[in-house]
Amino acid sequence: MAGPGVSLKTTGFILLLLFLLSTVFPFYWMFVASVREEGSIISNPGDLFPSEITFRNYVDCLKSGPFGRYIVNSVWVAVWVVLGNVILATMAGYAIARKRFMGKRIVLATVLGTLMIPKQITMIPVYILMSKLRMIDTYSALILPFLVDAFSVFFISQYVNSLPEELEEAARVDGASDYGIFFRVVFPLLKPALGIVAINSFLVNWNSFIYPLILTNSENMRTLPVGLALYSQGEHAVDWGHLMAGSTISALPVFLVFLAFQRQIIAGMIEGYGR
Amino acid sequence: MRGSKASTIVFLSPWILSFLVFSAYPIVYSFFLSLTSFDPLQGHPPSFIGLSNYLNAFRNPAFWTSLKVTLIFVLGTIPVTTVLSFFIAALLTEKIPFRGTFRAGFFVPTVVSMVVIAMIFKQLYSPSGYVNILLRNLGFHEVSWLENPRTALPSIMLMDIWSSVGYYVVIFLAGIQSISKEVFESASLEGAGWFRKHVSITLPLVKPVLLFIIVINGIRSFQVFIEIFVMTRGGPLKSTLTTVYYLYDEAFYRFNMGYASAVAYILFMIILVFSIAQMKYLRMGKID
Repeated sequence: MAGPGVSLKTTGFILLLLFLLSTVFPFYWMFVASVREEGSIISNPGDLFPSEITFRNYVDCLKSGPFGRYIVNSVWVAVWVVLGNVILATMAGYAIARKRFMGKRIVLATVLGTLMIPKQITMIPVYILMSKLRMIDTYSALILPFLVDAFSVFFISQYVNSLPEELEEAARVDGASDYGIFFRVVFPLLKPALGIVAINSFLVNWNSFIYPLILTNSENMRTLPVGLALYSQGEHAVDWGHLMAGSTISALPVFLVFLAFQRQIIAGMIEGYGR
Repeated sequence: MRGSKASTIVFLSPWILSFLVFSAYPIVYSFFLSLTSFDPLQGHPPSFIGLSNYLNAFRNPAFWTSLKVTLIFVLGTIPVTTVLSFFIAALLTEKIPFRGTFRAGFFVPTVVSMVVIAMIFKQLYSPSGYVNILLRNLGFHEVSWLENPRTALPSIMLMDIWSSVGYYVVIFLAGIQSISKEVFESASLEGAGWFRKHVSITLPLVKPVLLFIIVINGIRSFQVFIEIFVMTRGGPLKSTLTTVYYLYDEAFYRFNMGYASAVAYILFMIILVFSIAQMKYLRMGKID
């Protein structure tokens, strides 16, 4: 018999390993199903180690389905939303942390309050507004509501509060303008926080579903999650190989971003819980 | 001096504008809408009908079904998710090899789109899917998980637990790691076992984190939608008709936007009451 410490460690390790297998398996399954011939998925569905691998499903998916267009839409929207948050939300967060103005407390409370508003309460008015502005099915509808996220504003203001003010004061003494101070002095100091804001707004936007669903109605304007969800429902015959290829295409950028920025993503998510 | 007034306004205005147009105005406008009858396809402006939408909702069996389904979802998933994520986090605080890898691995489902996850599970749950292959190999009957009114909701709940545990593991971990090591050491010296140690020492110490997780998970679970949209569309026989799916259906399929706004407001109030009740409890927890 091993000592209690050792056996605890071994049982713990085995339990964790089992949990890990259960988390990884569905994604592995998705990938395997995406690289198999359609016929082999039906004739031998349980085969977890296919001997023949084909990328036919990906080619078909990108060629027959409009997945190429979905990728372009998702990337284009994500670029603008990330830029908007990194610049516009950062400006607001900085002002809240550093400037003195009337109603500052109210502004901060409003930012926090905005984080708690459920989407369902705002989506109908936003839809009506967008259709009045004739923006349904345009990039504006997919970008404008998300350009300045309250979480980014809050996160930046907290981060700025933790920075010393000396550099900004020195720049002010040297005669720099408020804008010069913000872009030349503060921006470089904010690099780690900007990284978290950028990654977080990318992930949230890349995976966002209900707004893009209601704000678009043509196939050409769908983002990846919306395209994928509707692809499986009626418009195209259900073909698991294609669907799993489409799913892999949607998930791949997230996997890559996660592998590269795991630390920042977890830090950002802990700060921004409840999203 | 902290700079000019003008620059303060310039810095703040993008957020203020975005807040007014996409948060403040919608909240007020959707309350107004909830008191009207409005179908945007008809071309008429909203017509005021008082509280009729609210009364109609309370008289509508489909609305009650949706509340019941949502409540089952919330009450069924939260305890399992909380207990599971607490014990995984507790295991991860031990000196176990590859802790970082485990933590990252558990976290992956929380960054992947719910649409992708629902798509994978729709395949796994399908009659020819892997779950049924396993059952067949073990000598059991196949089950049409998502087509059977008795199994559809539990299947989706299981997937939800699977996909969100990693997120709460990470939050619990942050909480547990802020507890001083000496507390654990003295507990071990007094001969407390692993399970006992975590249940009677760790758990009370991370009570604020625990309650926070319950609130956050509650708010999220009351809004369950994507899973339903992708997997069952509220069926079979309304067995997975959650309130948000019902509201989406009324607003964007039937274009009853006034009625749907009333349903949205009722849900909003339920979430608010739930959160305030939890927060009160949370504050009490800190005092004693």
